[in-house]
Amino acid sequence: MPERPRQLHINVNILQAGVFGGSWRFPGTDPLSSYRLDHYLRIARKAEAALLDAVFLADGAAIRDNIRYRPTSSLEPTIVLTAIARVTERIGLIGTLSSSFNDPFNVARRLATLDQLSGGRAGWNVVTTADAASARNFGLDQAVEHGLRYEIAAEFVEVVRALWRSWEPDALVADRDRGVFADTSKIHAIDHRGAYFAVAGPLNVPRSPQGEPVIVQAGASNDGRALAARIGEVIFTAAGTRAAAQGFYWDVKSRTATFGRRPDDIVILPGLSTVVGSTEAEARQRRELLSELVHPRYAIGRLAGQLGLPEESLALDRPLPFDLLPEPEQAAGSRTFYGIVVETARREQLTVRQLLHRLGGGMGHRIVAGTPEQIADTMIDWVDHGAADGFNVMPDVLPEGFDDFADQVIPELQRRGRFRTGYEGTTLRQHLGLREPDYSRPGGERVHG
Amino acid sequence: MGDRGLHFLVNVTGAGYHRAAWLDPGVASSSFIDVGYYQGVAETAERGLFDALLLPDIPQQNAAIATAPTQSLEPTLLCAALAVTTERVGFIPTLSTSYNRPYNLARRVLSLDHASNGRAGWNVVTTAVPGAAANFGQERVLPREDRYRRAAEFVDLTNLLWDGWEDGALVGDQESGEFADPAKIHPAAHHGEFFDVEGPLNVPRSPQGRPVIVQAGASDPGIRFAATHAEVVYGAQLSLPGAVEFARQVRALAAAHGRDPDQIRFLPALVPVVAPTEREAEERWEDLQSRLPPGPTEAARLEAALSLVPGILGGNVDSPLAPEIFEHSQVPHEGFPRAAARFAAETGYSAREFARHISGGHRLVIGSTQQVADHIEEWWRAGAVDGFTIAPPAFAHDLRSFVDLVVPELQRRGIYRDRYPGRTLRANLGLPVPANPFTALVNTPQ
Repeated sequence: MPERPRQLHINVNILQAGVFGGSWRFPGTDPLSSYRLDHYLRIARKAEAALLDAVFLADGAAIRDNIRYRPTSSLEPTIVLTAIARVTERIGLIGTLSSSFNDPFNVARRLATLDQLSGGRAGWNVVTTADAASARNFGLDQAVEHGLRYEIAAEFVEVVRALWRSWEPDALVADRDRGVFADTSKIHAIDHRGAYFAVAGPLNVPRSPQGEPVIVQAGASNDGRALAARIGEVIFTAAGTRAAAQGFYWDVKSRTATFGRRPDDIVILPGLSTVVGSTEAEARQRRELLSELVHPRYAIGRLAGQLGLPEESLALDRPLPFDLLPEPEQAAGSRTFYGIVVETARREQLTVRQLLHRLGGGMGHRIVAGTPEQIADTMIDWVDHGAADGFNVMPDVLPEGFDDFADQVIPELQRRGRFRTGYEGTTLRQHLGLREPDYSRPGGERVHG
Repeated sequence: MGDRGLHFLVNVTGAGYHRAAWLDPGVASSSFIDVGYYQGVAETAERGLFDALLLPDIPQQNAAIATAPTQSLEPTLLCAALAVTTERVGFIPTLSTSYNRPYNLARRVLSLDHASNGRAGWNVVTTAVPGAAANFGQERVLPREDRYRRAAEFVDLTNLLWDGWEDGALVGDQESGEFADPAKIHPAAHHGEFFDVEGPLNVPRSPQGRPVIVQAGASDPGIRFAATHAEVVYGAQLSLPGAVEFARQVRALAAAHGRDPDQIRFLPALVPVVAPTEREAEERWEDLQSRLPPGPTEAARLEAALSLVPGILGGNVDSPLAPEIFEHSQVPHEGFPRAAARFAAETGYSAREFARHISGGHRLVIGSTQQVADHIEEWWRAGAVDGFTIAPPAFAHDLRSFVDLVVPELQRRGIYRDRYPGRTLRANLGLPVPANPFTALVNTPQ
């Protein structure tokens, strides 16, 4: 039997009204849709009809001045995903929760709840949250230093996983004759006492239908990659070029051995901003229009903030002031983004205006504008060249741009035998081809659940 | 008394309020983690025109899981799931001020409020259980006074975060590129004893102004807290004179703090065991009781049922209970010992009689449709309550009986609504939409 060609994994990242700063202004778009639950339910239903692996919700716990120019994160992701779980049956549900501004017990419980309510479709995108505005909503003046944030995140995830494993798979007995509801000898305290957290446990939610929620992780810095290789099951990454994506892919997969894991234990899904047109020219025009719709003050302010530069140091028709750039460690935002932006501007000698256009309000992710065939070509090209296992798709405009992706690109991938034509499993783990973790009793004894 | 409508919440926990509820063969063992089961509860409550589901919660694994289902699914998420598939009934998750962070809690409850189009409340608890503290890195529970001081700051801050967005802050002007008007989005800039939160929240103002603040209000600091912060108070009231006095006390304190005392709804818990006839109701109760593990003696069984210290009855089940006996009660809610002592003194009930009127710390009424309706009407007419938080012994059976029997009887008597008056929790409770202080600042001539 011929081997089935490699299948792509595809999530849709529901970024407000679309990935670009001006998406909400795109003609025919409801500018305020992302503040209403219906928006998310509609896109999730469409994503399930298109057989995607999961919907993905990014998140931030602060609004800054940029709300003047574009929508920001609003409705809390686990609330939205639970609502989506009620109107869908198969699609995975991945939510972003910060390891810096939450407590492990609450995070473990909410994701375990989402997993129960969805029949095993939950995933957790672990972020460490770099910005000072968020920190100020949680009693801090600024974010904790980068390396320390990742150390805390690693312990946070360890605690959450221990809580998810605190119920043995068969702890629920419900023996009416003996009046025994649960076998409490199979529900274990975790008694975690680490450098940053002390949590007794057990969790008060039984083991999940998929063993435990899927751990998703982003962050391409050295600390981020190390954490990804250690705990990540899905890696959401930003790569502007195939070569950069290949480097990241190879690096993370080869680091897995250090932690006793296999390369296949990790599914790497770079972000992909999509602009679908029925012709290449139409896609290009659409892309041009979306660039024009980004408010220039927003674009400059955001770029300045991410690079750690004063806003007035950036002029639209001049190059980046390279001499003023702080060291990457001193830049306020994501190091990954910083690296991509500075490298692109330097290599291609771009003006600020050209650079902004290139970024399009995105976060340094690859933007692909073209016909469904061209977009499918790019996706397959990356997967076949060791750059990705699939994509976290960030449509240009929501919901409309995603409808086009679902109706045109997905069937194209299916025609080429690269995307499922029906769900084969019911859980997120099954969609992604990830193993269900073996149950390990505290103390290390392994039990197959 | 402001709105003189009659209101009901339903207390949703496990298979029901009775520890033997799950033994009913009609209840699937997984129902406590099954959204379909809770959907059935919500639909029945909505059919009965209840104001809301109240979901109690403690963030720990209760050891009682050995013999009965305990709280498991996180309540804001369970409410979000049910909000999608209901239209009118409200949702009141319980969230602890000791084990949450204000920004996250404010955001989650307000998100639930948006997801339900204005049907959310928040049951504010301070959580005195040591097992919960140990799940949050704390060696011990904070002393009661500190817990309530923290709760007061937490709720004030939450209200401030909820008020941060004025109506009309979202503009969405596609032509000019103005998405929001930052002049209408206000930081909290809160720096208090327990919290420093800059804000603003990233969620717009609620469709009902703000989610409704709910609280038990039974201990002394609890009563003060209710008077200053709560819009719905549900704490244990066992006797009519006690309930009248409690409502009077809270209203007076509220007025002294400059609040309108009519804007508080009193909905103490009530455990109804109802059937068309008294005899059938008695049989229903006996059936439930008979499923409990038999105690070694009747006295031991009653001590367990009344949460008394084992052995304290000394085998005496028929003479009047001494009110002091409740000083060492093992019921976790703080108002119970006082209410129980009062009830014992007022009634002169023996332990055996007491156990037919009190269950799990709440007032139990076993009777025919008429008798249960009489109890409700009497308390309501006396001005002691605005209604009750119904704690059905077993959901599958007893909530349905209440809605099918008692609700129509109350409607026949003309004291209960025959449709929902509004679309938000606030509208259904007859509570006004709070003014936004930021908007008021701008619009009030100086």
